Amino acid sequence: MRRILGDAVVRHVLSRLLLYLFAGLVLVFFALPLLWLVLTPFARTPSFRIPAPSFTLHNFRILLDNPFALRSIGNSLILAGGTALLAVVFAGTAAYALSRVRLPGRDALLYAILLLSSIVTGTAAMVPIFLMLFQLHLIDNRLALILVLTGGLLPSAMFILKDFMDTVPKSYEESARVFGASPLQILRHVVAPVVRPGLATIAVWAVVQVWGNFLLPYILLQQQTKQPAAVIMYTFYDEGGQPNFALISTFSLLYSVPVVAAYLLVNRRYGFRFQGGIKG
Amino acid sequence: MAAIELAQLEKTYPGGVRAVDGLSLTIADGEFFALLGPSGCGKTTLLRTIAGLEDATGGTLSIGERDVTRLAPGQRDVAMVFQDYALFPHMTVLDNIAYPLRIKRIARPARHERARQTGDGLELAELMARRPAELSGGQQQRVALARAVVAHPSAFLFDEPLSNLDARLRLSARTFLKRLQRELGVTTIFVTHDQAEALAMADRIAVMEAGRIRQVGTPREVFGRPANTFVANFIGSTPMNLLPATVTDHRLVLAAGSLPAPDHLADGTRVTVGIRPEYLDFSATAVPDALTGTVGIVEHLGTSSLVTLETEGGPVGVVVPEDDEPAAGAPGWAVPRPGRVLLYDTESGDLIPD
Repeated sequence: MRRILGDAVVRHVLSRLLLYLFAGLVLVFFALPLLWLVLTPFARTPSFRIPAPSFTLHNFRILLDNPFALRSIGNSLILAGGTALLAVVFAGTAAYALSRVRLPGRDALLYAILLLSSIVTGTAAMVPIFLMLFQLHLIDNRLALILVLTGGLLPSAMFILKDFMDTVPKSYEESARVFGASPLQILRHVVAPVVRPGLATIAVWAVVQVWGNFLLPYILLQQQTKQPAAVIMYTFYDEGGQPNFALISTFSLLYSVPVVAAYLLVNRRYGFRFQGGIKG
Repeated sequence: MAAIELAQLEKTYPGGVRAVDGLSLTIADGEFFALLGPSGCGKTTLLRTIAGLEDATGGTLSIGERDVTRLAPGQRDVAMVFQDYALFPHMTVLDNIAYPLRIKRIARPARHERARQTGDGLELAELMARRPAELSGGQQQRVALARAVVAHPSAFLFDEPLSNLDARLRLSARTFLKRLQRELGVTTIFVTHDQAEALAMADRIAVMEAGRIRQVGTPREVFGRPANTFVANFIGSTPMNLLPATVTDHRLVLAAGSLPAPDHLADGTRVTVGIRPEYLDFSATAVPDALTGTVGIVEHLGTSSLVTLETEGGPVGVVVPEDDEPAAGAPGWAVPRPGRVLLYDTESGDLIPD
């Protein structure tokens, strides 16, 4: 009896140990790159390894001297901000219409758009998109790139926002209508503020998507002065293909700050929720 | 200030459902008018059609001698209070009340000033900076009213304004709403399914069934002389006794007894006798011209009790004072008060005039 009990205890302890060991390994696996990201920019001899403790701002000097680095962060901000703005406006109005107007086959339409979008913005469509913009003389045009990026995000954004719009009681709008508000006023004064958490979610999601997008800007923007951070990072290698660690490490840190900041800001103000834009 | 006139107003939904079926009705300037009926009778649809939230499919509607049948809701100069109040959750009470003025492009200081004045009148002064979620049901209702009042419309439309309040609050809100309407003198239509609410508040009531009006009248008329058995059944906190009878030798012969009949009814006419439990007197001893049976269930209503008399012709309700409550199982007689017996045509259900 006692031995059976003892066995159970041993087995329990062992399984716990294995679990902690596994969790520890997973933790190290994910933590090491982050540690590298935070420490290397300040290391005297930056490399692939986690640096020994040391502190210098010299690497940032190198970053500032690079003609494209800071400008590319600015470019990324323009692309991400523009796309987020357009995605919120277009997806918001479309989702509002889809939520309020009874169309036959409305849900089928939404799912079809959602399904096609993964094809349209995927790698398969790169060549046609490039050719189309080339014919239109829109290569190297930031607005054109923003439109292409927005187009890729719209279906999912519409899908998510329609859910938010569906939760806005009709009586809010009817009440405003009886007071004489126009549809646009209703959207601006009543619907948009009520679904604000949803709009914020879409905006941050759009920023993150664009921030990390490499292929589209790489293909559609050819002047280095217009390229965003994700593309410019690729140029921080010398002729021999050796990475310039001083540049890459500092740039990576700079590159990750805006996205984290945007997330924290929005999360704090609205909190991320995927349904129910109404309090009380 | 405006009278509201409906002429053959019709609302048919695309599926063919006739929610409002050719209604003609005139609501006088300053009148407090109730649309009363069971759920699904079209009363809310009628109110929404008057507001312009539903398009009329036929007939005309005028407010203050202006034909508004085809006008957008915002151009009809009406204000509506919704059942759920529809306060904007992201705005403060002040901004909510001022919203109609914002639409009218009145500058912020001026509209806040007016909203504050209106709010003061409705005892909302302390709550101006709060959001709707921080208010009680009664406060939310007053904010919704203030938002309607501030617009100075020519008519108010209330959709079940009291149904979201708890029972006790509903009583005080009833008095409050009636006083407010009196003071403002604005023509008001309100929708309710609660007959007691309609009787208590309205100057006149329209009782609706299946998109049609079954009776229009003052609360006294509708309660005292329902025009047909539908209204008779619907109005009153205790249902009216409706009993089949045949005229024989100038008497109404019922299964439970016989009553004197008016002279103009021919022998053999089949009628439905309608008597409210409140208009029946209970007697423990045999009396002439009464309905007889044994005392069944006794329900306490506070100062009075509802006695169900089990008769040959089915149960008959009688309201007795609390002190005269009979014992269950005892024999009893129910005597109608003079002039309170109503006769309805058995076929059509319509009231037979005296």
